[in-house]
Amino acid sequence: MTEVNVREKVLAANASAARGLRASFRESGTLVVNLISSPGSGKTTLLEATARELKARLRLGGLDGDIATDRDAQRLRDAGIPARQILTGGACHLDARQIEAALAEEGERLSGLDVLLIENVGNLICPTSYDLGEDFKVALLSVTEGDDKPFKYPAIFARAAVTVLTKADLLPHVDFDLDAVVNQIRALNPSARVLVVSARTGQGMDGWYALLEEERARKCAAVPAVACPA
Amino acid sequence: MHETGLAIEIHRIARAVADERGGGPLESVTVAVGDLAAVEPTLLEFAWRAVVEGTSDAGAGLLVEWERARQDCASCGEIVERAPGSWLRLCPRCGEPLRVSGGDALDVLRVVFGDGAAASERGAA
Repeated sequence: MTEVNVREKVLAANASAARGLRASFRESGTLVVNLISSPGSGKTTLLEATARELKARLRLGGLDGDIATDRDAQRLRDAGIPARQILTGGACHLDARQIEAALAEEGERLSGLDVLLIENVGNLICPTSYDLGEDFKVALLSVTEGDDKPFKYPAIFARAAVTVLTKADLLPHVDFDLDAVVNQIRALNPSARVLVVSARTGQGMDGWYALLEEERARKCAAVPAVACPA
Repeated sequence: MHETGLAIEIHRIARAVADERGGGPLESVTVAVGDLAAVEPTLLEFAWRAVVEGTSDAGAGLLVEWERARQDCASCGEIVERAPGSWLRLCPRCGEPLRVSGGDALDVLRVVFGDGAAASERGAA
């Protein structure tokens, strides 16, 4: 019998792919956001509105993770940006190798983007553990999901630099204590940015667009070889 | 069930460690799991048994060593009154943001395996 002491990260293969992606996104000045939420909280709807608003000013692209159907990527293409569906065949999250493969297969269409929008599989738990080479994670929580969720699913709210509270137009119809939710998020992640939006009415969406444009400008400014939009 | 994906990776890493040394079936694998790694140990062990079943490593044990996270407040020092694995990041005494160290480990620490086919043949000769 032989005993060998090692210290190897279980997710080393994912971490190595994520490092490669991050280096390549740094070189092209591409801002990458990883959207994570439960199913039906409005990730695709937020991205459709984002595509329509920003596509004239920024070169956008999307990757959509789902267990089945290419419906989400089709919705983003209908909104006017290139997008590719990644089917996980049952897995509850995207991993960095799937991002690598999808970008390689799309070639020119998804290379040299200003902003890459990654929509993870609808799930508040598993996607939290997988680095996709993104600049930051964005957690979405719709007001219909209940105001106790940040403390019930703490890992994602602790790790997401930005939380977007969606479907704000429904606030008058549901018992959702906005202040309590913001306080829970702050208790888990004191530096988190919290936005309250409705993609349907446009309420608060300017803040979301401004955040993406500012973060893209910041990333782009660090790359001398890339021409940044003014 | 991302524990299944983790169990597959643990098996792949452990198998590679044994194969590089000409080793045989795995006896046990020890992993470090941080209490902020978002991993449920009973689910991980269940997934592990399912992953090794039907392979030459069937019956190999998975041992989990916990790694605790530490929370420190710049003014109040180490925060010890919270439950291990707490995600709360404001000091319970003064309300200031806390600094967190450790607790995110998810590492293969130790692999124990039996003799490989080559070693058994040498033993028989």
